[in-house]
Amino acid sequence: MEERLQKIYDRFQKREYRNLRRDGTLMPCKFYEEKNLAVRSARRLLEAVDAEQAILFPEDTIGMMRTVKTIPPLLTEDEAKEIRANYFIFDGAQVGNISSDYASMLKNGFQGKREEIANEIKKYSAECKEYYELYAMNLTIDAICLLAEKYRKEAERIGITELAEALSNVPLYAPRSYYEALVMMRLVNFALWLNGNKHNTLGRFDVYMYPYFKADIASGKLTREKALELTGEFFVDLNFDADLYPGVQQGDNGQSMVLGGMGADGEDVFNELSKICLEASLAINLIDPKINIRVSKNTPFSTYYLGTLLTKQGLGFPQYSNDDVVIPALMEMGYSQEDARNYVVAACWEFIIPGVAYDIPNVDALSYPDVMLSAVARLEKFSTFAKLMAAVKGELTATCKKLIANTKNIFVEPSPFQSVVMTDCIKEAKDIADGSKYNNYGFHGAGLSTAADSLAAIKKLVYDEKKYTATTLKNALAANFKGYEKLHADCIAAPKMGNNDDYVDEIAVELTDCFADALKGEKNERGGIFRAGTGSAMYYIWLSEHLGATPDGRYAGEPFSANYSPSLNVKFDGVLSVIHSFTKPHLGRICNGGPLTLEFHDTLFRNDEGTQKVARLVKLFVENGGHQLQLNAINRETLLDAQKHPENHKNLIVRVWGWSGYFNELDIAYQNHIIKRLEFLS
Amino acid sequence: MGKHIDNMKQATVFSIEEFSVYDGPGIRTTVFFKGCPMRCNWCHNPEGLLPKIQVVKSPNGCLRCGACEEVCQNKDECIACGKCISVCPRGLIRFSGVVYTVEELFLKLQKNAEYLKQCGGGVTFSGGECLLYADFLHDLISGLKDIGVHTAIQTSGYAEESQFMKVLSVVDYVMFDLKIMDREQAIRYTGRSNELILKNFEHLKESGVPFMVRTPLIPSVTDTKENLTAIAERIKDSGALGIELLPYNKMSGSKYTMAGIEYRPEFDEQAEVNADTDLFLRYGIKVKIM
Repeated sequence: MEERLQKIYDRFQKREYRNLRRDGTLMPCKFYEEKNLAVRSARRLLEAVDAEQAILFPEDTIGMMRTVKTIPPLLTEDEAKEIRANYFIFDGAQVGNISSDYASMLKNGFQGKREEIANEIKKYSAECKEYYELYAMNLTIDAICLLAEKYRKEAERIGITELAEALSNVPLYAPRSYYEALVMMRLVNFALWLNGNKHNTLGRFDVYMYPYFKADIASGKLTREKALELTGEFFVDLNFDADLYPGVQQGDNGQSMVLGGMGADGEDVFNELSKICLEASLAINLIDPKINIRVSKNTPFSTYYLGTLLTKQGLGFPQYSNDDVVIPALMEMGYSQEDARNYVVAACWEFIIPGVAYDIPNVDALSYPDVMLSAVARLEKFSTFAKLMAAVKGELTATCKKLIANTKNIFVEPSPFQSVVMTDCIKEAKDIADGSKYNNYGFHGAGLSTAADSLAAIKKLVYDEKKYTATTLKNALAANFKGYEKLHADCIAAPKMGNNDDYVDEIAVELTDCFADALKGEKNERGGIFRAGTGSAMYYIWLSEHLGATPDGRYAGEPFSANYSPSLNVKFDGVLSVIHSFTKPHLGRICNGGPLTLEFHDTLFRNDEGTQKVARLVKLFVENGGHQLQLNAINRETLLDAQKHPENHKNLIVRVWGWSGYFNELDIAYQNHIIKRLEFLS
Repeated sequence: MGKHIDNMKQATVFSIEEFSVYDGPGIRTTVFFKGCPMRCNWCHNPEGLLPKIQVVKSPNGCLRCGACEEVCQNKDECIACGKCISVCPRGLIRFSGVVYTVEELFLKLQKNAEYLKQCGGGVTFSGGECLLYADFLHDLISGLKDIGVHTAIQTSGYAEESQFMKVLSVVDYVMFDLKIMDREQAIRYTGRSNELILKNFEHLKESGVPFMVRTPLIPSVTDTKENLTAIAERIKDSGALGIELLPYNKMSGSKYTMAGIEYRPEFDEQAEVNADTDLFLRYGIKVKIM
């Protein structure tokens, strides 16, 4: 690492900069006087900017750190109470988990946005909704300019001339260099967080930043080495305030970045800047940005190899998404070809479109084990396994209808600043909270393997071999297998999804098809559709904690596997069989997002041969129609030691469900889940 | 597979690893046969020593509930009755060793054949000592060749010459261990003289089958200058593709608890190994540390 960058990195690791933060109460909170929520949101941002103190260090050339810890809520307590009583609230009601149109923002600068607003606002009378939306958007441009000016002055004061100069141009005008584009991106990222948005993604960085990089390299203004250093600085800066960002667990902040993949013309966009991003991520070794690589049958081995070097480092990313599966699936869902080709991932792995979508791909989750158990409760009634399956599917469909019915009357707080950086909000004089071109909802599908394994165990033990009666099995489940040890051992020994055994895999295919069928043709209240997915998010813990024992041998309360993965309680034949099993379902039909996870003992990567072969395995997964993959290089002993001696493992990074975080900062349930999933990894 | 079927031939396997990256070219499935004539002091695969089926217990995740001890009626010497397997609430106890006919194992391996071919990999037979099952192996390898799967063996070289030759006549690639060149030292640390091994090495040289030499680096036992020089002398001009050095793994003892055997290394486990790659390079031998 370059010396200057090392200093910034060390400052982050020492955490002392956090002592410079003050409490959020210092804000005067006059914005509550404003009745129009869009204008109120803009005024809150202005106040937040006003309360921020610009602090830079001599080694910074981008920098920026929060000095006020919390952002006050947009709604007063009374308002919030009323809204909670009358509306469906999702994830705190803040806009987030979407991807901005950074390309047009960089191209036009905020002056361009201002002019656009000025043109549009003329069309509306002063008292109408549209007028206020545009007025609020305009105020947020004042806010970001104010923020830039604060930092410009501070840069000038302590003599960081390049930054002062950059900030006299961006964000108002289009960046004149790769460096200025980075400064502008950092400023906007900073402001989105300051605006109270959640899960701010970074999108296709190697696409929207590439023109600036390419021009600077061509003109000789920038060397590759300098580009790497600046990119590294930008990446480290994304981590400084990550502990303040809201999420289920720390690290769950959504700062995902997507590299490579099919461009608008159908060619792969993976370029020199994509490589620089991978190298920068490798060098800084921090949880943000979380790298995703879009791949396809045509992706060269070298890309997988670069990605695997990151995997080897134990960061839990990159995550891979397969364009060959995802793009056609998105088109099937109704996304245009151009938009489908431009997909990115939301906070974790859900496929979304930058600029033109306000999809909520994680709005709720189906619990496969729960619907399975509802049918198993009537197990005596089913004379054949086919009848049981029909009942499971009936329960699944009914549950989906219920989820759909419950997902309505949503309230989302307006976010004029986020609206400014979307593609069409200004033109349509509409806040992003009120929707975009795409307004689809997605449901996760949690615990697939637990349900498929359970049904396979029932099929084998109750129907095929008739070893146990339906009543005995149910009694065993009710007793959490206590006193039924032999039966439990038989359940554990029954076929499991992940061993390339059609006996169970075909049940998984039926369940996933049923999930897709249940959502097909359903419309949500915003005119969008419902998408079926393979992710679990935190639901592998939330939905399993209170669920009784399951016929696959899982004890009551034990977690499901995270996302789209084999169960935790069995030793599997190996990763090739796992890939076979998990590419059998019709993935294009359940393409909301959610990866298969493969864990590797870190010693596998001890020399380059191991790294090369893991890279080859990822390529194999993609060539055989997998949709999304995430790999971990991990060592159970290290994690156990970290639980005992957290002080020795301050920087131990692990993948949780769709994001990487610091092991020490996770709740024990999440720590234990990771340890448990490694039990069979020798 | 038809012509190779002989269900009288059986073999005991203790593990099949699907994504084995250090056992030959490409991504490989490695089959570990149970039973070994050698008793290498540093062996990290105690499950592979005895050909009989055993009961093993994974130490990870044990609740120490005592259920397995409660049902055991043969505490002095395990008779592999398996009674403890079904009572373990965590499912951590299992039989080690599955008996396969040639056809059964072929069908199992065939399931991943396309994947293996796609990534330039194949199947490797290891152990224990795979040559204990030479007839079985001959038929299985022939079957896999028919469907285009690359095959390899990993062997100590300790086997009847005729048995070795039989496998050599069909296999695509051989990883051959040269551990200790001094006869007395070989007996002391591996439990066997190396005469037969060196004879088989000559057969290997003449066979035309591509081969790699492998040497575990055991501190002050195999990694001495004398031993490595003797190995290099033996390999030079032998046609070997090179030598792969496998530094002693300090985790070697970890599987002994599981197999219920005591691990007693007669060398200093903590000592640094002498991974002298230059020595081999001076002989013009390609060398790699694994």
